[in-house]
Amino acid sequence: MANAEVTPSVPDPPGGRKTARGLSLGRLGQYGGFLPAIVLFGLFFAAPLGLIVAYSFWQVVDYNVVHDWTLDNYRYFFSVSTYAKTFWATIWVSVAATALAIGIAFPFAYWLVRYIPKRLQKVFLILVILPFWTSYLLRVYAWLNILGPEGAINRFLHWIHLTSQPVSFFLYDRPAVILVLAYLYFPFAALTLYASLERFDWDQFKAAMDLGATPFTAVRKILLPQIRPGITTSVIFVFIPILGEYLTPQLVGGAKGVMIGNLIANFFVGAQYTRGAAAALLITALIVVLLIVFRRSLEVRDAYAP
Amino acid sequence: MPRELEVVSPRAGLMRFALSSWAALVYLFLFVPIGLLVAFSFNSNKYGTFPFTGWTTKWYGQVFGDYQIKDALTTTLRVALFVTIISTIVGTAAAFPLVRSKLRFRSAVRVGMTLPIMIPGLLIGVSLLVFLTNVFHLQLSVWTAIVGQSVYTTPFVLLIVAARLQGFDQSLERAASDLGANTFNRLRYVVLPLIAPAVFAGALFAFTLSLDEFIITLFLIGGSNTLPLYIYTQVKFGITPEVNALATLLLGASVLLIALAFLLPTAVRRARLALRTR
Amino acid sequence: MSMTEGRLSRAGLLKAGAAGALGLYAAGPAAAAALRFESTTLNLLTWSDHYANDQLKAVSKLSGLQGRPTLFSDNADAYLKIKQTGSQFDIVSGDALWVPKYLKDGLTESFDLSSLPVSKQLYSLAREFPFWKDGSNYMGYPFSWSTVQIYYNPKYVTTKPDSWHALLDKKYAGKISLENIPTDMMAIAARATGGKKPYAMTKGEISRAKAYLKALKPNVQKLASQNNEVIRALADGSAWIGVTNLGSDDRVKDAGGPTVLRAYPKEGTIGFIDSEQIVKASKNKSSFEKFENTMQQAPWIAKNFLTNGRPLFNEKAYKILVNTGHGDRARRLSYNKPENALKMTIKGPAGDEQAYVDAFNEVFGA
Repeated sequence: MANAEVTPSVPDPPGGRKTARGLSLGRLGQYGGFLPAIVLFGLFFAAPLGLIVAYSFWQVVDYNVVHDWTLDNYRYFFSVSTYAKTFWATIWVSVAATALAIGIAFPFAYWLVRYIPKRLQKVFLILVILPFWTSYLLRVYAWLNILGPEGAINRFLHWIHLTSQPVSFFLYDRPAVILVLAYLYFPFAALTLYASLERFDWDQFKAAMDLGATPFTAVRKILLPQIRPGITTSVIFVFIPILGEYLTPQLVGGAKGVMIGNLIANFFVGAQYTRGAAAALLITALIVVLLIVFRRSLEVRDAYAP
Repeated sequence: MPRELEVVSPRAGLMRFALSSWAALVYLFLFVPIGLLVAFSFNSNKYGTFPFTGWTTKWYGQVFGDYQIKDALTTTLRVALFVTIISTIVGTAAAFPLVRSKLRFRSAVRVGMTLPIMIPGLLIGVSLLVFLTNVFHLQLSVWTAIVGQSVYTTPFVLLIVAARLQGFDQSLERAASDLGANTFNRLRYVVLPLIAPAVFAGALFAFTLSLDEFIITLFLIGGSNTLPLYIYTQVKFGITPEVNALATLLLGASVLLIALAFLLPTAVRRARLALRTR
Repeated sequence: MSMTEGRLSRAGLLKAGAAGALGLYAAGPAAAAALRFESTTLNLLTWSDHYANDQLKAVSKLSGLQGRPTLFSDNADAYLKIKQTGSQFDIVSGDALWVPKYLKDGLTESFDLSSLPVSKQLYSLAREFPFWKDGSNYMGYPFSWSTVQIYYNPKYVTTKPDSWHALLDKKYAGKISLENIPTDMMAIAARATGGKKPYAMTKGEISRAKAYLKALKPNVQKLASQNNEVIRALADGSAWIGVTNLGSDDRVKDAGGPTVLRAYPKEGTIGFIDSEQIVKASKNKSSFEKFENTMQQAPWIAKNFLTNGRPLFNEKAYKILVNTGHGDRARRLSYNKPENALKMTIKGPAGDEQAYVDAFNEVFGA
């Protein structure tokens, strides 16, 4: 709606950014807008994070943090193979869940943009966000009721006489974690993909097909290359938050579905702040690296406008 | 806008059918868990699971009689309100220099400001906890939770508003400037109305995120409970369908609000038209 | 839709939204004030099995003291919360050897137990736990206790698993449900492997305990974040064995599950003895006696036993249970034998928590 009206008629080059020139808000005002953000992020994000960095070099003795400088916490994570293994498991679970979420979301977003009248697209999008308005925990619990031995799937299989005994295969392993994470993060994938498909110039697509390209070739050769930035954005907004997940693996993953977040949470719950800080910072370091590599994709397209 | 393509390939019909079926499956995937959640709120089985043992509305009665839920709901809304106000103001203000100033390290700043939504929430919660209690010697309260949540929600507002500013046609502003409007007037009459939808979207997003925020709040809120925390502790010690009833009510309320958001503008326009013609 | 109209309607919407939000905000304190009008509020940091909602309501009417519970999972959790929130809580529940730690670290205050008339209803043994004595004062009001033992489903588990080592049998792969409390799991492993002090193991003992957990891991279905999940897994048949509190058999039955039986491991086990403590920084310390005196009355405690199914220390409540036909159940769960509580290793802070969590993570990581 309004978003289409103010968008300049000349399409943006993919991934391109228009640098604003000309009008400044006055010399003083140019950076003044950052002030509240600097206070909020500086005082309540950067400074605490700095303290946590210090924590990661300290020790806990009898539930109290002691300011003895040591590399012990870091050394520990690199000396015990469990953490590296859990870390890799976390990465591949996150990759799989991201791929699943985007794999489900892409045809969906394509359908929404191509076949649904503009006016109704918002309604369908809101239906995607709707599950967001119920509690995260209850959504995960609902999945226990679907995948569990007394759950919906087993009841259905039993009802159509496919199985005689409940199958516990669905729950308490990595596949369940991947499925539920994909479910939880699907709206992020759908929204970001929609935003970039919505801006795509479909005339090019049509031209390709007029010239004899099959729809699949047209998607592959014309569409995908142009919306790649959108896909990267959606990967970032799904993959990175999943890296830190711990409630879902705990609730549906069982003993075999543990992710790195669970191990970190164990440290914090047991008041081992210094160990926990070191582990969390190692994850954060990876995330920062990923963000720097993909920094261009952090420009969210104007898709959230109602 | 011309979005509909003419059917060129005979396969297009098939394609359309396949994609529509896919979309139907997606909505099924999204709503089966929600449907179950709602269904269990009417199930007399007190464990909130299968099997269905009978129809009841007693869980709803319990929700209204439970002062813990009332407390938690009040706290949640109060926290969400302040979080929304803070993150909308801070995020919108920062979006301007981020997009418009001649910033040399723009992408570094962008990464920095996006960091709070990317790092594990656990880390935000814990770091603020140790910082506020050890450095400022503050006691945990609703306010510490508000600050923690704002750190997390502000980047969303920032990104959404920045996106709108980027696709923003500056010639309008230039025109206003040429016509003699000062900075304030330009902001008030040209920029603000144009970015209002994005600001509203950002605020809505912040509000939504705050309502369901769990981990940061868990570490920072001290003696009060928000709804997600209440649900967590309930779930922890035996979830009752009361929680499902509560979730259903909240879902109903948000559907109602959205419907209103869609219908209200039309209704207002009609009313205005009716007034004008009289 | 033209631009102007879109904008105008949105501005209207924004205003309506803001007005609505402000309205909600205004309603909040009003509701809170209405609640406060009736009574003093006591903030409790506790477990959900320490109270019932109707009990709190009745107590509020009788005493004018409104208990407002906040729940926590693990002792370390509550300990830190009290440390960090100062005067925001008035009463905190705590386990066995955590109680002296609270006192030693200046977080709670001991009191004269005999000044609470209701304490006469307690077993005399519960009034004299040596680890809770602070001169003539007592560190907490004794509430409930339980051993942590093995519950098994005889349909699948044909030989009674009366040893921690019986759980290592390969045929139970993925069928054992445990709670995710690293310190306590390590303490159980200590009992299994002969560690002298389960909460203060030596390095060698820790590595033996770790080896035990490692052997157990393939059989673990899930590290439940809550006791209730263990019950649920036993009830729906997805777990054959659960390591859990006394009374779990009745709770499984209540949840529509099968008959499960109890096995007490011959190596011994751990367990909890919990209490209600006065938070030192509380501004309502004077209300503690009146509140607990109303809360801890035998009829409530008897009801609590029937709901939560683990023994409590109120002897008068036992008599009520006997008179109302629940004597068998109470005896089956050793309600009348509080001395059993002293045979187990009672929960407490770990000597070296970090080594415990490290070992636990190394076992249960990927």
